Amino acid sequence: MRQDRRTLIGVGLAALALAAAPQAMAEPGAWSSAPVRIVVTFPPGGTSDLVARLLAQHLDTDFGQKAVVDNRPGAAGTVAADYVAQQAGDGTTLILSNNAPFTISPTRFKSIPYDTMGDFTHIAYIGAAAPALFVQPSSGITSLADFVAQVKSDPMTYGSSGVGSISHILGEAVDAALGIESIHVPYQGSAPAIQDFRAGVLDSFYDMVGQNRAMIADGEAVALAIAATERDPQSPDLPTFREQGYDVVIENWVGVSGPAGMDPAMVAKINETVNAVFASPEVQARLAELGISPRAMSSADYTALVADLIDTWAPLIEAAGIKE
Amino acid sequence: MDILANFGQGLLTVLEPQNLLYCFIGVFLGTFIGVLPGIGSMAAIAMILPLTFYLDPTPALVMIAGVFYGAEYGGSTASILLNVPGTPAASITAIEGHQLAKKGRAGVALFSTATASFGGGIIGMIVIAVLSPSLAQLALAFGPADYFAVILLGLIAASAVSNGGALKGIAMVVTGLMLGTIGIDLTTGTLRFTMGIPELRDGVHIVVIAMGLFGVSEVIASIRTNIRGTAAQTVDYNDFYPTRAEWKSLPGPILRGSSIGSFIGALPGTGQTIAAALAYAVEKRVSPQRKDFGTGVVAGVAVPEAANNSATQTAFIPTLTLGVPGSPPMAIVIGALMIYGITPGPRLLVDEPEMFWGLVASFLVGNILLLILNVPLIGIWVRLLRIPYRYMYPTIVVLICMGVYSLNNNVFDVWLTLVIGVIGYLMRLFRFEPAPLLLGFVLGPMMEEHLRRTMLLSRGDPMVFLERPISATLLAITAAIIVFALYSTGRNRRRARAAHRQAQQEGSKQ
Repeated sequence: MRQDRRTLIGVGLAALALAAAPQAMAEPGAWSSAPVRIVVTFPPGGTSDLVARLLAQHLDTDFGQKAVVDNRPGAAGTVAADYVAQQAGDGTTLILSNNAPFTISPTRFKSIPYDTMGDFTHIAYIGAAAPALFVQPSSGITSLADFVAQVKSDPMTYGSSGVGSISHILGEAVDAALGIESIHVPYQGSAPAIQDFRAGVLDSFYDMVGQNRAMIADGEAVALAIAATERDPQSPDLPTFREQGYDVVIENWVGVSGPAGMDPAMVAKINETVNAVFASPEVQARLAELGISPRAMSSADYTALVADLIDTWAPLIEAAGIKE
Repeated sequence: MDILANFGQGLLTVLEPQNLLYCFIGVFLGTFIGVLPGIGSMAAIAMILPLTFYLDPTPALVMIAGVFYGAEYGGSTASILLNVPGTPAASITAIEGHQLAKKGRAGVALFSTATASFGGGIIGMIVIAVLSPSLAQLALAFGPADYFAVILLGLIAASAVSNGGALKGIAMVVTGLMLGTIGIDLTTGTLRFTMGIPELRDGVHIVVIAMGLFGVSEVIASIRTNIRGTAAQTVDYNDFYPTRAEWKSLPGPILRGSSIGSFIGALPGTGQTIAAALAYAVEKRVSPQRKDFGTGVVAGVAVPEAANNSATQTAFIPTLTLGVPGSPPMAIVIGALMIYGITPGPRLLVDEPEMFWGLVASFLVGNILLLILNVPLIGIWVRLLRIPYRYMYPTIVVLICMGVYSLNNNVFDVWLTLVIGVIGYLMRLFRFEPAPLLLGFVLGPMMEEHLRRTMLLSRGDPMVFLERPISATLLAITAAIIVFALYSTGRNRRRARAAHRQAQQEGSKQ
C-alpha cells in the first residue's frame, strides 16, 4: 500500500503538469494600488529570496505593481507562514511558498499554528529545482544498478543539507524505492556536506544539480540520477530515477500564496501576472542560472499539487524519523 | 611569491572606490563604538550586520572586519582617559595607560597605543597572508573528527589560559553550552528546550546573546558607575610624542606582544582579551623596565595593544580557513558570509580568492586609515567621551533593539535580548565573566555536531579520533595543555602553601 502511494508521487505530478491547461480568465496587470509585500521564509541572499526579488522587480517594471520583499526567516518557515495566515486576503500580503512550511511542517510538527490548505490561497506555481544523487568517482559506480548492488552488501553514508530538508527526504525516498538502508549524515546546508564529500569522508550526497555542474564536469563527483519528472535541459546526460526504473520524484518548488479568503477574480489576476513575469526570456534565463525550471500552473492546479504533496510526503517524513 | 602577487591583486580590489569607502566606514564606526565605554566590537558588528545585507559580499566583509579591528583601536582611548575600558581587551591597556594619563601624559599613552596597534595589526596581517593558504591546503583533508579535535583544543586552551576564577569560568562555559542546545537538534530533528515557543525552534541567535550580555548589561551597569558623569581629560598636543628613550623601548614590546597575540588569536575561540592579558603578563616578566610596571610605562601600554590587534587579525585564520570562529565576533562574520551563500572553510581561498585577498589587503589599508584617525584626529574621539551619558546610552539601547529586530524581523528576539541583558547585569554583579559563556555557546553546538557526525560516519567506533593523524595530533596537544594546566595550578598551590607555612613559622617565632 505504501509502495503504491510512493509511485503515485511522480504520477500525480506528471498528471498535474499535463492538466495545467491555460485558464485565461484575467489579463495580467497591477491588482493593488498599495505596494504588495512578498514574505520570504528565508533570510536575504538565498535562492528563494532572489526569486522573490526578481518577482518584485519585474512586477514593478513590467506591470506597474509596486512590490517589496519582506524576509521573515525562522522555525523552518513556519514563522513567516503563520504571519501571512493572519493577514487580510486583500492581495497586499503574499508569501513565496515552498515545501518546508507548507508540505513538510504539517506532518513533521505536532502542532503548527496554521492549516496549509484552510488558511491560505495558493495562487501560482513558479518552478522547481531537482536534486540528484552523487557518488565518489573512486567508487567505480556509474549507474543506479551498480549503486544498488554495492549498497546492499555494504551500507553507504550520504550527506544531506539538514534533517527534514529536501535532500534528506529524497534520501529516505531512494532508500524506500531501492529497498536499501543508507546511513544519513545531516549537515547545515549543502556546502559543508560537499566539502566533506570532497575530503573523502562521505560516500555520497544528495543536492540540487544546478550548483554541482562544475563538480560533475571536473570528474570530482558522479551524478547517478535526478529526482525530476524529466531530464534537466542543462544536464541532458543525467538520467532521471524514473528512466532507471525507480519512481522517485522529489522537487524543490517555489510558488506564490496568500492568506485565505481572497477574491477569485483577484487570484486569477495575480496568477496571470506572476505567470507573465516568469514567462519573459530575461527572467527565465535568470531562473536557469538559479537551477530552477519554470512551469506555469493555474491556481486550482497549484492548490491540488500542494494538497497532494502533503499526503505523498507524510510517509517519507515518518520514515525519516523526524516527526516531532 | 604567490602570496605577494595575490596580495597585490587584493590591494587592487580593496582600492576600488566602493570597497575603500566601506573599509573607511567600517574602521570609523569601529573606532566610534570602541571609544564608547563598554560597547565592544561584538555589539558594533551585530548592529551593522543588517546594513550589510544590501552590499556585495566583499565590501560587506571588509566593512565588518573594519568595525572589528577598528573597535580595538578605539577601545584604548576610554581606558586611558577614564580608566573605563572601551572594549574588554582594552582593560589590560588601562593598567599602565591610565597611570600615564594621571601623570599628565595621556597624549603619549594614546600615541603609543596607536603605534602599537598599527604594528600589531600589520604583523597579524602578515601572519594571515603567510599561514592561511597552507592551513587551508591542510584543512581540505579535515574530516569531522579533526574539526571536533580543533574545537576541543580551542575550548580547553581558552579555559586554561583565561584569567579569573576557574570555577566561575567553567560554570559560564557550561551555561553557554546549555544555551547552545536550544532548538532543533541537527542530527535527529528533535526539538530541545524550546518550551513550546516557535521562535526558539531555530535556537537563540548569537547576536541576541551577545547584544544582551555585552550591550544591554553594559548600559545597565554604566547607569550606576557613570551617574556622576564623565570627566574626560584634555589631551595636550605638545606632549603627544614619546621621548627618544620611550621610542627606543617600543619595538621590543610590539614584536613580543604581536607574536603572542598572533598565536593566541589563531586558536579557535580564544580572542583578544586573553591575548592582551597573556602578553602583558609575559612582558611584566621579561621587559627591561619590569620594575616600573604598574606605574605607567609606555611599553606596558604597547604590549597589550599590539597583542590584541594582532589577535584581532589572526582570528580570521580559523574563521576563514576552517569555518571555526576564532573569537565570538567571528561567529557573526561566519553568519554574515552564510547569508551570501559563502561557506567559510578550506574551499573559500580557492572559490573566492578575490574576496579573501581583498580582505587581507584591506587590513593594511584599514590600519593605515586607523593610524590617521587615531593620531592626528584623536581630538574628535576625546570630545566624543564628553557627550553626556543620558544622551548616549538611550541611543545605544535603541540601536541594539533595531539591530536585534532586523535579524529576523521578530519582536520576540528584542524581548529576549532585554531579558538576557538583565541576567547579564546580575552575572556581572556576582563577577561571572560573560566571555566564556559566549565561547561555550558558539563552540558547543559545533563541537556536538562534529562529534555526532564523526560517530555516524565511523558507525559508532570512537577509535577514529586516534586513527586519524590530524585529530590524534590535536588531541595530544589538548592533553598536554590539560596536564600543564593541572601541574601549574598544583605548583602554585604548593608555593602558596609553602609561603603560608613560612609566614606562620615566622609569626610564631616572634
